[in-house]
Amino acid sequence: MAKRTCISFFSLLLLIAGSSAVVAQDTVTVPLHLRAGFDISGPLLKFVNKELVSYGILTSVDVTEAITLNAGMRYSSFHSVRHSYDFTSRGMSIVTGAEYNFLKANVSEGKYYAGLGLRYGLSLYSEEAPVIRYTNMWGEGVSSIPLSRHAGHFVEITPGFRTELFPGVTIGWNLYMRLLISAGAGNDLKPVWMPGYGPATKGMATAAEYYISFSIPYKRKKVIIMPKAEDDEEEEGDVSSTTNSPGTSSGFGGRL
Amino acid sequence: MKCVPQISAYVIASVMAFLINSCSVQPCYEDTDPMMNTVLLASGTGESAKADSLRVRGVSPTDTIEFVDARSVTSCSLPLDPASDLSLFYITVNGIHDTAVIYYTRLPHLVSPECGYTFLSNITGVTTTHNIIDTLIIENSKVDLNGEKNLHLFF
Repeated sequence: MAKRTCISFFSLLLLIAGSSAVVAQDTVTVPLHLRAGFDISGPLLKFVNKELVSYGILTSVDVTEAITLNAGMRYSSFHSVRHSYDFTSRGMSIVTGAEYNFLKANVSEGKYYAGLGLRYGLSLYSEEAPVIRYTNMWGEGVSSIPLSRHAGHFVEITPGFRTELFPGVTIGWNLYMRLLISAGAGNDLKPVWMPGYGPATKGMATAAEYYISFSIPYKRKKVIIMPKAEDDEEEEGDVSSTTNSPGTSSGFGGRL
Repeated sequence: MKCVPQISAYVIASVMAFLINSCSVQPCYEDTDPMMNTVLLASGTGESAKADSLRVRGVSPTDTIEFVDARSVTSCSLPLDPASDLSLFYITVNGIHDTAVIYYTRLPHLVSPECGYTFLSNITGVTTTHNIIDTLIIENSKVDLNGEKNLHLFF
């Protein structure tokens, strides 16, 4: 997994480094893809965090060379045994939203992504505390909270990277900054873990996902790349500015 | 590219440290015992009154537990039995005994993942004998962790 992470990460770095040598073009043809993949970090993390089982799938479709619509589904099961209580939650979460690729079309070539996504999430889950052990001035006792079903809502901001490993297969990772809208269980029974979100006792949660997906190009789109000539002309008027070759581009222009 | 293994190791170590830290059990620093706060008032005037002595015991099916035994007090805080929908108290004010029964509903409440659950209560009724207690009035029925006054005891 570390090797693949490195491949993904360093391919991006190489992409950034190499982009300075890319010759500016007037138009590029970019393939738009349909993608379907799955999260491989969830099953692997079970070896580290035995309380959580999480399986996720993610689909996406390129609407333009920069905008991608995506939707995902995740099953999570959480079981925790603490000194004063046992807690269980499980359920499905659905996320849908869009992401924006900051890489210019001539750099991304339909293969690379470095961008930011915004998604809405719906979590349909059940929770219960089969054992609550308490101690107070009356003595010790055991109680429980029966199974109840709820619908939680959240939004997530997802900076991430994606690269084509080889034609038809991409790997990437996303960070998640999730903002809780509602856990759907009231203030008293906020779930210790809300499937798809995380600890619902906090208004913000973070997570990461490493995924592999299979992509199919469904359309090719010609994208006009604005030449740097206008900028260069302006720069030429500035005597103190550094001189750049008109044939080179930073590759990140106005997007990054 | 020689730095690849080092950076990989660093990234993996950071992720592992984050995960291990996030999975470790954290201590509980929060108050988890909701208390029913009772203010002593002078019957007739309604002004704050000081009892020369106050003793309160809770009666459970198996035991009698002393909650308060103090002198020169104007208020007291009592826990409600989380195992029952009523709590029976023997209240002794200035050496004179009374019995009070508090009826309530219980609501489980997650304090925090670290502290676990507690039981909040909503007082639905009170009954008392009247040897020294004149009246016992519900001021605020919600017994929670906010520490607000719940009962007014006139004597």
